[in-house]
Amino acid sequence: MKKRSSQVSLFLIFIFLSLLFYFAFQDNLLKPISRPLQNVFSPVFSAVYSGFSGITNFDSASKVKELKDENAALTEKLVDQTKLQQDNQALRDQFETVTPKSTILVPAQIVGAPGFIPGISFPETFTINVGSKDGIKAGEAVILKNNLIGRVTKVNYYLSSVLLVTNENSSFTATTMETNALGIVKGQGGGEMILDNVLLSDNLKAGDIVLTKGDVGASGAGFMPGLIVGKIVSISKNASDLFQKAKIESLVDFSKIDTVFVVNSQ
Amino acid sequence: MRILATVLLFLAFSLEITLTSIPLVFILLVAFVPFYRNNFMFFLAFLFGLLLDFFAFRDVGISSIFFVSFIFLMLLYQSKLEISTNYFVFIATFLGSFLYIFIFSFQGYIILEALTSAVFGILIFNIFKRIKNAPDKFHLSNS
Repeated sequence: MKKRSSQVSLFLIFIFLSLLFYFAFQDNLLKPISRPLQNVFSPVFSAVYSGFSGITNFDSASKVKELKDENAALTEKLVDQTKLQQDNQALRDQFETVTPKSTILVPAQIVGAPGFIPGISFPETFTINVGSKDGIKAGEAVILKNNLIGRVTKVNYYLSSVLLVTNENSSFTATTMETNALGIVKGQGGGEMILDNVLLSDNLKAGDIVLTKGDVGASGAGFMPGLIVGKIVSISKNASDLFQKAKIESLVDFSKIDTVFVVNSQ
Repeated sequence: MRILATVLLFLAFSLEITLTSIPLVFILLVAFVPFYRNNFMFFLAFLFGLLLDFFAFRDVGISSIFFVSFIFLMLLYQSKLEISTNYFVFIATFLGSFLYIFIFSFQGYIILEALTSAVFGILIFNIFKRIKNAPDKFHLSNS
């Protein structure tokens, strides 16, 4: 009986302490504790994730070559687009329009990518080792060589959480490079995404590259236009539907990368 | 043994933050309860719940409340049910993991993850049972 009453007392004490921590966290009173903790554990997480990535990426040389070749071909196309952008910029300058805010790329190492089966299941979020101390803000885009990876959703002092474009909760406007069809990219989970809400009158082409339309807000956070989302692998078009859709495959294998860049607006 | 339990929980915590969405910390806590039916489990549940919330970008304190409440429920039923059996550990881990994944990290594999958690729970429970009984067996064979 005595043992039971001591368990009940301890249970109530720890519940009370948990609630205390909960409300202290809401009022940002835990910063003196959370920052040193993050400073201590961030290298541990980095070491664990790097060690695991090193083991699972041991035999990826041929895949890397394939990606490099494809990347080279795509870069050529992007060069053409960049030239068009430069011409556009020159015209804007001519008419003295407001230029976009300058942006810098903050390199970040992935220290966490939880999935059901590590190395096999597609992760839905990344944890990166940059946070508010590096000027990172929620809503900023995360990229890798012009490929869109995701968006920063939560920020701590040392760490940030990135919602991947393949996550079920991710959606944003995009356009196809060759046919200029406009649609919404929606993550489906499990490493998959679709380009939905495309008008039936627009043309979709298998193999076409999907780029972000751009949704940069007043604070500078958001996706810049022209970031590569992926390429169309299959199209679903029925005359009886309101819209057509296409399945998109990212050019980046999210389970194999360990460094990304945050587009930090100044 | 307490040090071993704490070290294993730290390892599970690191793996849960970096590599897997399976609730490893919760599985270990449930598997350890039959061996530590005392107040030490409350402290471990509280501490690792806080750490998990800090680094998983959740509201701090929520996981602690869940872990402490579940451990309390298990200890409450120890006089009515035999909690040191594979059946109890399997059911407790399955139900607790199902609820935990549903509340905190639902990604579409909830039944499969809960089943996997239950299997892990039994494995860890049996391994710990062997480790704990090993010195007793040695003593008996010498006497």
